[in-house]
Amino acid sequence: MKRRSFLSWGAAGFGSLCAGVGVSLAAVLRFLTPSVFYEPPQSFKIGDPADFPYGPPTFLADEKIYIFRDREKGFAAASAVCTHLGCTVKFFQTDHHFHCPCHGSIYASDGKVLHGPAPKPLQWFEITLTRDGQLRVNKDRPVAAGYRLMVKA
Amino acid sequence: MNPIRDLWQSISRRDPLSTDKGKSELVFLNVWLHIHPNKVRPEGLKVKHTWYLGFITFFLFLVLVTTGIALMFYYRPYPQPAYQDMKDLQFVVFMGGFLRNMHRWAAHGMVICVFLHMCRVFYTGSYKRPRQFNWVIGVVLLLLTLGLSFTGYLLPWDQLAFWAITVGTNIGSYAPLVGARVRELLLGGHMVGEEALIRFYVLHVAVLPSLLVLLTMVHFWRIRKDGGLSRPVWKLKPQKAANLVHIGEPEPEPALAAVAAAPDKTYGLMEVVTGRPIFETVAPEEDEETVFSYPYAFFREGIALVVTVVTVMAVSLFWNAPLEEMANPAKTPNPAKAPWYFLGLQELVSHSALFGGVIVPALVVLALVGIPYLDSNPSRRPADRKWAIWIFTVFVIVNIVLIIVGTFFRGPGWSFVPPWVHVTAGAE
Amino acid sequence: MDRKLPQFFFALSLIALALLLAAIWQSSHPSWKLYQREYYKLESQGEPNAAAKAAIMDTSLEIHQELLPGLQRVDRCTTCHLGVEDPTMKDAPEPYRYHPNLAPHSPARFGCTVCHGGQGLATDKENAHGNVAFWEEPLLPKDYVRASCGRCHKEGDIPGVPELTEGRRLFETQGCHGCHKLNGTGGSIGPDLTAEGASQRSPEWLESHFLNPNAVSPNSPMPNFHFTKEQARALTFYMLSLTNEHMATYYASASLIPSSGYGRQLFTEKNCIACHSIGGVGAKEGPDLLGVAKEHSSEWLDEQLVNPQQVYPGSIMPAYDLDANARKALIAFMSNATAEDAQAILAQRGKPLTPEEAAIEAGKQDFHRFGCAGCHGVNLQGGVPNPNAQGGEVPSLLHVSDDYTKDEVIGIISDGKQPPLADPHKPPPPLYMPTWKTVLSQEDIQRIADYLWSIQPKKEAW
Repeated sequence: MKRRSFLSWGAAGFGSLCAGVGVSLAAVLRFLTPSVFYEPPQSFKIGDPADFPYGPPTFLADEKIYIFRDREKGFAAASAVCTHLGCTVKFFQTDHHFHCPCHGSIYASDGKVLHGPAPKPLQWFEITLTRDGQLRVNKDRPVAAGYRLMVKA
Repeated sequence: MNPIRDLWQSISRRDPLSTDKGKSELVFLNVWLHIHPNKVRPEGLKVKHTWYLGFITFFLFLVLVTTGIALMFYYRPYPQPAYQDMKDLQFVVFMGGFLRNMHRWAAHGMVICVFLHMCRVFYTGSYKRPRQFNWVIGVVLLLLTLGLSFTGYLLPWDQLAFWAITVGTNIGSYAPLVGARVRELLLGGHMVGEEALIRFYVLHVAVLPSLLVLLTMVHFWRIRKDGGLSRPVWKLKPQKAANLVHIGEPEPEPALAAVAAAPDKTYGLMEVVTGRPIFETVAPEEDEETVFSYPYAFFREGIALVVTVVTVMAVSLFWNAPLEEMANPAKTPNPAKAPWYFLGLQELVSHSALFGGVIVPALVVLALVGIPYLDSNPSRRPADRKWAIWIFTVFVIVNIVLIIVGTFFRGPGWSFVPPWVHVTAGAE
Repeated sequence: MDRKLPQFFFALSLIALALLLAAIWQSSHPSWKLYQREYYKLESQGEPNAAAKAAIMDTSLEIHQELLPGLQRVDRCTTCHLGVEDPTMKDAPEPYRYHPNLAPHSPARFGCTVCHGGQGLATDKENAHGNVAFWEEPLLPKDYVRASCGRCHKEGDIPGVPELTEGRRLFETQGCHGCHKLNGTGGSIGPDLTAEGASQRSPEWLESHFLNPNAVSPNSPMPNFHFTKEQARALTFYMLSLTNEHMATYYASASLIPSSGYGRQLFTEKNCIACHSIGGVGAKEGPDLLGVAKEHSSEWLDEQLVNPQQVYPGSIMPAYDLDANARKALIAFMSNATAEDAQAILAQRGKPLTPEEAAIEAGKQDFHRFGCAGCHGVNLQGGVPNPNAQGGEVPSLLHVSDDYTKDEVIGIISDGKQPPLADPHKPPPPLYMPTWKTVLSQEDIQRIADYLWSIQPKKEAW
């Protein structure tokens, strides 16, 4: 009896210590998970709809997106990050295509891959109107290529 | 065929712990535990003799290493980012404030415990032959602990940190000839700035901890080689050992006979050499009463570990580590104080820079190192060493009183202000 | 005891586990999460559609922050103040209420703390509002928030904050520079004010300090200037705007607001009234400017100011070298200028000064600008207490020619002077004449002396 109780109490102590270590490890994982990001936010306002011209898309360099505005269809936001290896693509007015400077991928103005190593079309992001009348792009919410936001003038 | 048992045995590689062989092998075959002897003298485990202060100091160091590594993930050693990281730990990082609290309080605890451990070793006379050199290593470990705490003090880069390090390094610069040089080397400049921060950071996270680990290993190894855990030999009565309680064990087994008869003894001398040993034999005598390290020593150590961790966690849950305004070299707080453990020195420096900054600290370190060699009295019985105990007690009390005066009784302009009197800073 | 070791070990392990769980609980229940839940509840109440309601309630709780590298700030205020940009929240309770009139100071670009103060990095109310130990910029009281405009808008007229303009004017004219350093220039008798707004001074403290310096800082050598309540408030605004922050290009570019007040100042300085009239008042060489901003676009007017000949070939208007801000300010002034303005500007012009009068006027301006007036009085009356100086106060300069020759006065200004002690056993008086030759040129000193002599009573010939 003596030995049994001695061992089982010890084992229980050891067990709860192990549980503590396990919980600590989980806590450490959570500790290492960033709570805030020191980088441009994923969801951001880009300004008043009236600031954006019709015609060729507007490039926002910090956010790495192109904003399209069309009289009939409205606003759309395309990622400027090449789906191949992450370089920033450039829109050329001459052929209305996106060209990647790194490995020569070419995308159509709707984001479809026309040429080169890019495996996927360019990503499109949700664009919404905030309650104070500004445009907001949310990179956490990818949308289909045809997504458009119509803003009443 | 029991694969689970096979698996377990391939890991543990020992007999069950219910057998003496298993208890032995647990220690002997385990790289983490084999710093312990298989069997220890029960008097060395008495709480009222060692107070487990050495263990507690070591466990606090373990707490500091773990929390310190975690904090390094969120620390950039550059003035403004460093301070902002402290705020992030407090306000956004999950458990960040708690870990910083643990690190800070454990660091203070370690300074206190290492000092108390030294006092205990002195009072029990445990530094005496053959342990003289281990005492010297202990003094070096004390200095390393102070160095670690001091270098860590700067890292939050707040007013408290900045001015404590400014004052602290200036105390050191009173040393003749080399003082100013050493300060320049330490700070990478003539005042505390971004250069000093990166230097203190490297010392704090790499240089000093490595040295501390290295010397701790030597310290433990020497305890083992110098006769094991300290025990109150002067109280031992030859027969008392035989009356020790046997816990959790069945009635006395014919263990001794079994050991004696063991045919597969695996140890042996490499070689027999001639010559007399410098020190007397310190391994337990054949007829001395000993108990197995498992469970007697291990459970006690485990309890010391958990008590240490629980205390640090409880303190950290309720008291936040201090964080003042961001360091501002243009604005000196009044009074500017060194870290608390140097306030005794600052108190002396306020009377005489040469005395407090050079002579006293140098003499104290020299005297501490010299204790085992100067004290020629072979007896460890307190009644036989009244003078030694008196002198050391005076040293300890003066030390504590000076620190208390410096911490609680010094106000603006280093004037004597009791803590219960509230002084507002003078008009600008 | 030995028997109980394992039980003891087990109990302690359980305590350790409990403490660990307590710490985890503490960390996972920050107060901002409560505020966010409350906000989303409030927001979803306004939604008629159940799906939209659910979507709002599903919003993940997270810390919102504005990264403002140009202002060296990170503001997390919007973690709780979630409705600042949502006009539908205009009647919501704090901390959710809408912030009207934000444009053009969008939170993404300016954050909150640069105007309001407080601790942007903090995520609980007490710390974020900064009324805690060791935070030097607590939240500014509502009435004083406008003082922060002066952090970026450091020059000219700031529309809507007349206090700042007035505070700056007082600082320049009352001789504050004589004792106080600001951005590297000024005397050393009083504290440096370069970062006065960044220290933990409350507006109330500053205001009572200006009304009576000794009331809040006993034994301060600063004289009582007998400011009015409004003047004390204006100076307080100015002090609060002095934070010595480094403003990056974008924020520094708005140092001067092209306001109509600044335009009016330019209109006066450039003497436009010499050729133009407004509503018939003024000269007739050029066109009348009443309503000119209605007839022409501001682009057209801007072009006209850059190069008049290009717009009107043969125009006699010279091309003034005006920067873009100055042109904008002039156009702003012209868009609302009236005949009364022209009248006032004409009256201000007065008659031209002779070279001697101009030199004395310059001396007078130096006297005020470099801070002589701070101790010797705006009207040279002296009278500022200076304990243990002979006479016990700073001397009046109204009769300086009785005691000194002009050369002696120039010598005193150049080299400074310690006032003679009334009682040699007491500490020297706090105020003294600093050395000015390192600050002022020889001509400036000469002009100040000329100014002093210009107001000395004419001596009777004996």
